[in-house]
Amino acid sequence: MAATRRSRRMAADILTYFVLVSMSLFCIGPIAWMFLTSLKLEADIVTQTMQYIPNRITFQNYVAIWTQSSFPVLIGNSFIVTLITVIVCLATGTLAAYAFSRYTFKGRNTLMLGYLVVRMFPAVMMIIPLYVVLRSVGLIDSRIGLALAYTSFLLPLFVWMLKGFFDAAPKELESAARIDGSTRFGAMLWIVIPLARNGLVASSIFVAIAAWNEFLFALMLTTGQGSRTWPVGLQLMVGEFQLPWGVLAAGGILSILPVMLMFALVQRVMVQGLTAGAIKG
Amino acid sequence: MATLSLQNVQKSYGGLQVLHGIDVELEDGGFLVLLGPSGCGKSTLLNLIAGLDDISAGDIRIDGRSVVELAPKDRNIAMVFQSYALYPTMTVERNIGFGLEMRGINGIERSAAVKKAADLLQISHLLDRRPANLSGGQRQRVAMGRAIVRNPDLFLFDEPLSNLDAKLRAEMRTEIKRLHGRLGTSVVYVTHDQIEAMTLGTKVAVMKGGYIQQFADPQTIYEKPANMFVAGFIGSPPMNFVTGTLTSDGRLARFEAPGVRVEAPMSSGEIFRAKAAVLGIRPEELKIADVTGSMLTGTIDVIEPTGPDTIVTVRVGDQAVVARLPSRFSSKAGDGVYLRAELAGLSLFDAVTEMRIQL
Ligand SMILES: Nc1ncnc2c1ncn2[C@@H]1O[C@H](COP(=O)(O)OP(=O)(O)OP(=O)(O)O)[C@@H](O)[C@H]1O
Ligand SMILES: [Mg+2]
Repeated sequence: MAATRRSRRMAADILTYFVLVSMSLFCIGPIAWMFLTSLKLEADIVTQTMQYIPNRITFQNYVAIWTQSSFPVLIGNSFIVTLITVIVCLATGTLAAYAFSRYTFKGRNTLMLGYLVVRMFPAVMMIIPLYVVLRSVGLIDSRIGLALAYTSFLLPLFVWMLKGFFDAAPKELESAARIDGSTRFGAMLWIVIPLARNGLVASSIFVAIAAWNEFLFALMLTTGQGSRTWPVGLQLMVGEFQLPWGVLAAGGILSILPVMLMFALVQRVMVQGLTAGAIKG
Repeated sequence: MATLSLQNVQKSYGGLQVLHGIDVELEDGGFLVLLGPSGCGKSTLLNLIAGLDDISAGDIRIDGRSVVELAPKDRNIAMVFQSYALYPTMTVERNIGFGLEMRGINGIERSAAVKKAADLLQISHLLDRRPANLSGGQRQRVAMGRAIVRNPDLFLFDEPLSNLDAKLRAEMRTEIKRLHGRLGTSVVYVTHDQIEAMTLGTKVAVMKGGYIQQFADPQTIYEKPANMFVAGFIGSPPMNFVTGTLTSDGRLARFEAPGVRVEAPMSSGEIFRAKAAVLGIRPEELKIADVTGSMLTGTIDVIEPTGPDTIVTVRVGDQAVVARLPSRFSSKAGDGVYLRAELAGLSLFDAVTEMRIQL
């Protein structure tokens, strides 16, 4: 009896692992393939018989993409756009999330719902009005303009996420701080934000990753070298310069490195962040 | 030290009125207990006094000065919360000193003040710890330390002992009473524990549904409850309510029910003709009597010895009456029994309005 139950449990485990592993392989496959390609010599990439593991390893592709193309500029632009997006979200979104979490005011729920509705529409729908708006204020093809466009659809996500973390911070702590001599803003700054620190980091990283990887808006809202970000730049290289595949793969790997770093960070922080609010007094 | 005066204090959340015109006066150095069942608006009232929430109507005066326009930090009050609300990221020392820090008191003066408060509460050895590494009783002391270190005009306590176990609760209750005697600062203390109310308060306000049911000193609340709610809320086991009729000729009042007959002289001169009334008798007022002096006649239903005394449930007519009698109690269930009480220990209520009838 016990044996059959154990063997049934084992079968279920095996099935679970099989599904999980095959799905992981499916997801990681392309990235692994890109990574292997980036290490190959050009001659080894397009061959008669498929070469899975490179025979000869070279870092030439990495040197090439960094020194012989506009890639560093693209990365720089991406970095600046991402940074502006995160800073704007932090500065405005934190206050908004705090207000949503702590104050009851007329239209509060409608407003929160409105924040969600923005995210309901596909990006293609938003892009034409956004284009028109940005052009009329002269922010087309600028990094600030692109960052503002990102903010328009990332801020709601940021506010909703952060509101959850603020909700989890006990209100009595703020009350205590306000009686102890803080203003409302001071209580938020010194008591609530340190408590919701992990949530703040996690939300910011989500926004940063989304801004870093974004393609469609970047394609439509930038036209020149000065503000183009890496996803668009890399895509254009495929057609424009007939760049060798190995170099492109190296560019891809370099571009997703920051994302992988941020994901590692967010994973650690999220685990802490979700339990941090539970600590009482 | 300060007086506190609440004048027609009202609070509504949207369309929901939570407090309906609260009037309370607390003398300098007094200890006001707000007592009532869950949801009656005690915490709301405390938050209004603290300024954490805005008052809808009325006035709050501390030392004669209206504070309704002041921010919490400018009211010179200190508050102890039910959850203690210690800052989890700070050490005990910084927790206690945070109020002084916010007010720009320099480090040396601050540590001296923190040390003094910690000594008073016997938590000096905990100053370097964080709240997460403290026991419930220790957190409670730190929370008190944070309150007393600033020398406020007024202490506000919101059910400070409700998270402690029974033994620790009794200990801290004594501690709070000692601290109050020592510091002499006025206190507003929220609780739904009637023992805390009776032992600590110089004034007790019994609340229900956003109204004050009675505001008086503990003795009056206990002996002369203004209505049946107050009478039933205070005391354990609770007051017995016997329904019957009240008749009077203006000089002598007589309450009658099956197995019950009580006569008392009256001074109000009011005439009652078999008015439906409720007689309130506290279990501890009841004593064994002989036939001649008895007020209640019944049979013993249940006997529960508790050690110091015996709780006896007696069937009187078709009603049950609980008496707290001495432990040397010899009768057994099924025996007949006669009971009496001092007239001063009895209360009479109108059966319809549930308000006290003054004879
Ligand atoms: N922010 C709010 N919005 C709407 N209603 C509220 C709000 N705060 C409190 N109330 C209501 O006001 C009433 C009184 O609440 P309050 O917290 O003062 O009760 P309490 O006497 O402290 O109860 P307890 O003993 O459970 O702490 C309750 O009915 C509660 O639902
Ligand atoms: Mg409460």
